[in-house]
Amino acid sequence: MGRVQEVLRALKILQKEKKEGVSATDIGKLLYIDRSNVSRYLNILYREGYLEKIEGRPVLYRLKPGKKDLEDKKSRRSRNSLDKLVGADQSLSLAIEKAKAAILYPPKGLHTLILGETGVGKSMFAELMYYFALENKVISEEAPFIRFNCADYAHNQNLLTGQIFGVKKGTYTGATEDRDGLLKKADGGFIFLDEIHRLSPQGQEMLFTYIDNGFFRPLGETEKLEFVDVRIIAATTENPKSNLLRTFTRRIPMTITLPSLKDRSLSERYSFIETFIKEESHRIGRSIYINKNAIISYLLYSCPNNIGQLKSDIQLACAKAYLNYRSDNTEYILITQGDLPNHVKKGIMKVNQYRKEIEELLNINYEVLKFSQYEEPPLLLEEDKYTSEDFYNNIEKKLKSLKDMGMDGQEINEIINIDIESHFEKYLGDISHQLKRSEVASIVEQGILELVEEILILAEQELNKKFNENIYFALSLHLDRSIKRLRQGESIYNPKLNSIRINYEKEFLFAMRIAKLIDQSFQIEIPVDEIGYLAMFFAAESYDEDKAEKPKVGVLVIMHGDTTASSMVNVANNLIGTNHAIGLDMPLDMKIETMYKIAKKKVLEVDQGEGVILLVDMGSLTSFGHMIEEETGIKIKTIDSASTPIVLEVLRKAIVGYSIDEILDSFQKKYTYEFRENVEKEEVKNLILVACLTGDGASKKLQAILKSKTKNEDIEIFTINIIDKINLEKRLYKLKDKYNILTIISTIPIEVTWTPVFSGLDIIMDKNLHKIEELLEENRICLQVAQSLEKHLSNIRAYPLVKEVRYLIYEIQNKLNIFLDLDVKVGIILHICFLIDNLIRGNSSREFEEIIDYERNYSREMAYLKELFLDLELKYNINIGKNEIAYILKLFLANKLVCNIP
Amino acid sequence: MLNIMLVCSAGMSTSLLVNKMNKMGRERGLDLKVFAVAEADVDGYKDQVDIILLGPQVRYLLPKMKEKMEEKNIPVDVINTVDYGTMNGERVLEHALSLLGK
Repeated sequence: MGRVQEVLRALKILQKEKKEGVSATDIGKLLYIDRSNVSRYLNILYREGYLEKIEGRPVLYRLKPGKKDLEDKKSRRSRNSLDKLVGADQSLSLAIEKAKAAILYPPKGLHTLILGETGVGKSMFAELMYYFALENKVISEEAPFIRFNCADYAHNQNLLTGQIFGVKKGTYTGATEDRDGLLKKADGGFIFLDEIHRLSPQGQEMLFTYIDNGFFRPLGETEKLEFVDVRIIAATTENPKSNLLRTFTRRIPMTITLPSLKDRSLSERYSFIETFIKEESHRIGRSIYINKNAIISYLLYSCPNNIGQLKSDIQLACAKAYLNYRSDNTEYILITQGDLPNHVKKGIMKVNQYRKEIEELLNINYEVLKFSQYEEPPLLLEEDKYTSEDFYNNIEKKLKSLKDMGMDGQEINEIINIDIESHFEKYLGDISHQLKRSEVASIVEQGILELVEEILILAEQELNKKFNENIYFALSLHLDRSIKRLRQGESIYNPKLNSIRINYEKEFLFAMRIAKLIDQSFQIEIPVDEIGYLAMFFAAESYDEDKAEKPKVGVLVIMHGDTTASSMVNVANNLIGTNHAIGLDMPLDMKIETMYKIAKKKVLEVDQGEGVILLVDMGSLTSFGHMIEEETGIKIKTIDSASTPIVLEVLRKAIVGYSIDEILDSFQKKYTYEFRENVEKEEVKNLILVACLTGDGASKKLQAILKSKTKNEDIEIFTINIIDKINLEKRLYKLKDKYNILTIISTIPIEVTWTPVFSGLDIIMDKNLHKIEELLEENRICLQVAQSLEKHLSNIRAYPLVKEVRYLIYEIQNKLNIFLDLDVKVGIILHICFLIDNLIRGNSSREFEEIIDYERNYSREMAYLKELFLDLELKYNINIGKNEIAYILKLFLANKLVCNIP
Repeated sequence: MLNIMLVCSAGMSTSLLVNKMNKMGRERGLDLKVFAVAEADVDGYKDQVDIILLGPQVRYLLPKMKEKMEEKNIPVDVINTVDYGTMNGERVLEHALSLLGK
């Protein structure tokens, strides 16, 4: 019974005197509620056909003759309404027993204190007590029920106390006339004082005086006592053990505690969900369907603000589902997992703990449950703060006007979604930012998105990490593809299965659980190889962390001379931005045994279990490695005749996480590097790389898109599987060497600095496609440049060189964070190509003007460039001096300045 | 005689283009001299030129250079990227001539 019924009751009473009709103001005065609210309730009653409206000023309302009285209907139905409360025979049985006792206790019942958390339904319980009193005729039919929330006036205790007890004129500023308090207005009936703990000690004392003696004195009144017959129901969220409350529990004879939602059984909770959805269904006038997983989420999510929150969380989903129904013209109003607020979605994660209860509760055979508007329309228990019929009407209106403006369904949907969310935001706090699901949804099979959402929520919980949109998207496409494969009986093979099992054990175990979920949803059986792939998705995001945490090969540089080793190490560490490499200087007068002891101690210190690489110059230092390895058991490799570039290279690889053997391997290859490999080839193949976790799902879609973009070009689309980061780097290195890679489109974030990387998600969603076009244009021009250079360069092949230089320019751009226009880039490519050709011929550049100053001012940038040119230097066996570096650096810096001036 | 000056960074990438343009000029029987200088040397030559063309990588010089040459009424422009990249002497020469109104 809510305000609507109260208003109707009041109208009935007032109409006895005002036969011509009753205005909102009249009712407002009687009930002590705002006139505009009264109008709203009157309108509802009018729309439902209970009232007649007499137009005029003010508008008057009258009971519609012949129409069965709403209240009769309600009161008949709500006979013993306390007993109809959800959980009346379960968690509420004691509370109800006490409530009835309090009402029936002779001669005039007991004043009652209701305790319970926010949202457990204290106010509704109080109302039902009042109705119980009516039903049992312990109060007269006209007895009022007055509600008052002490928190509303808590900032002004005078006003608060005045509201309850009344004020004598002139008691305080603003008390301009004698005014009756609510306690007097409630005479013969009930007063419900919510948040009673907000009452000042003075107010409390006045209240207790009334409770003990049956009279009170209005504020400022010194003589007259007021005698009234009112039953007080007070309520508070305060902890019953608090000091404040002890006073109340001592002075108020009956205390009733209402349980929190979490202390109530699942079947009770289900009844709430059912009631609330039916209420919404009734409001909308259509049946509401709800996906089983969504119901489960509602049953299990953590809902600290109890029933009130549950209701509002359900209303939000109903509103969203209603919007989808209206704007997409779907056939049903269907609430899916995707319509739920994020915190609700998480409920599904607890499904395993409660599997049995849920199976008993829900008919497990149905995926979707229907709540009909017709089955026993629930009592509109309370007019809500957040939802009403008006709310749905607003959606309708907005929908129509947006449609009239010519917007399409998608846009409208987004706009109204924002509306709905902000509408509920106040209550819900954090509301999910909807993923652009519909876009991915158009690509993958139905049900996959929901499943993936569910999986990721579970994963976030179980694996304790956050997943981003890319993973969501990648996993959806991947699953879509895998499921199709499995259905067609195609096999799935995962070459890395064992290593995944070992390295990502947690993720693998989790993937096994997920596989069962997928099996159930799609009636397939996921093979263990596929489980391995799934595990990779959950491990994907932690790649970067892995890199940082993974033990690294130690790098120890020992050189003769007072500062040789330490200065080499300084340079290398600075360039790479680490302090991982350690240098040990061996002054010429130091004994070799002393050095050995120091070296051994250092090795023990720096080894992280991956072994140590010793970089030495010559002599007896070269034999240290073997000896220390024998003594300590730590794996040691020695590189002699080390120079700064070599230290740099080893350090870089160690930091990235290469193993000790891999470092030595790549290192030896590098130094026997000649450019024969490319020389034989006329041209270099152009590639766009598509990188995804399986080389399957998402890449197929991306390939199709890219193929259509590159129809007329001599460009191949290559798909690579990026299952592990270290091998990926090596493979990319090889590919980069062999082919001209225009760009990498990757479904998960990867760290590549030598070519542009785009997110697969963006490409599928048509974002950044113009950048791909630009890249194609750039490539066309560069190929022309290479073609023309081919005739003019004497010592090198132009195609591979242009390609290398382009990679290099990309790296420099990334490093300096300066991004150049195509025109400038082409100019620089030409510049560097000729520079290398000149250097090979033994010509060197002219001196850079004021090189000393320039070097000093830009020492960091110069060092970066020097490092980045290392590859080209080694490859073409040239030395690029500081003048050349300065010229190139200047081209970057100067063009940046220009770019800033549009 | 027409003096066409190309400017690039360190004179690294223009010498080939210069040769091609001179050759093209000779073939067409034009009385012209094309030469390239590095950015740093521009000032030393600016009194002996009829037109200045910039490599795209030094196009940041354009505003400054234009301002300097305005009173002498000497045109300054950036060479088209593709023409520059492919060292197309003929096209660059035509570009220069058209700027000079010839």
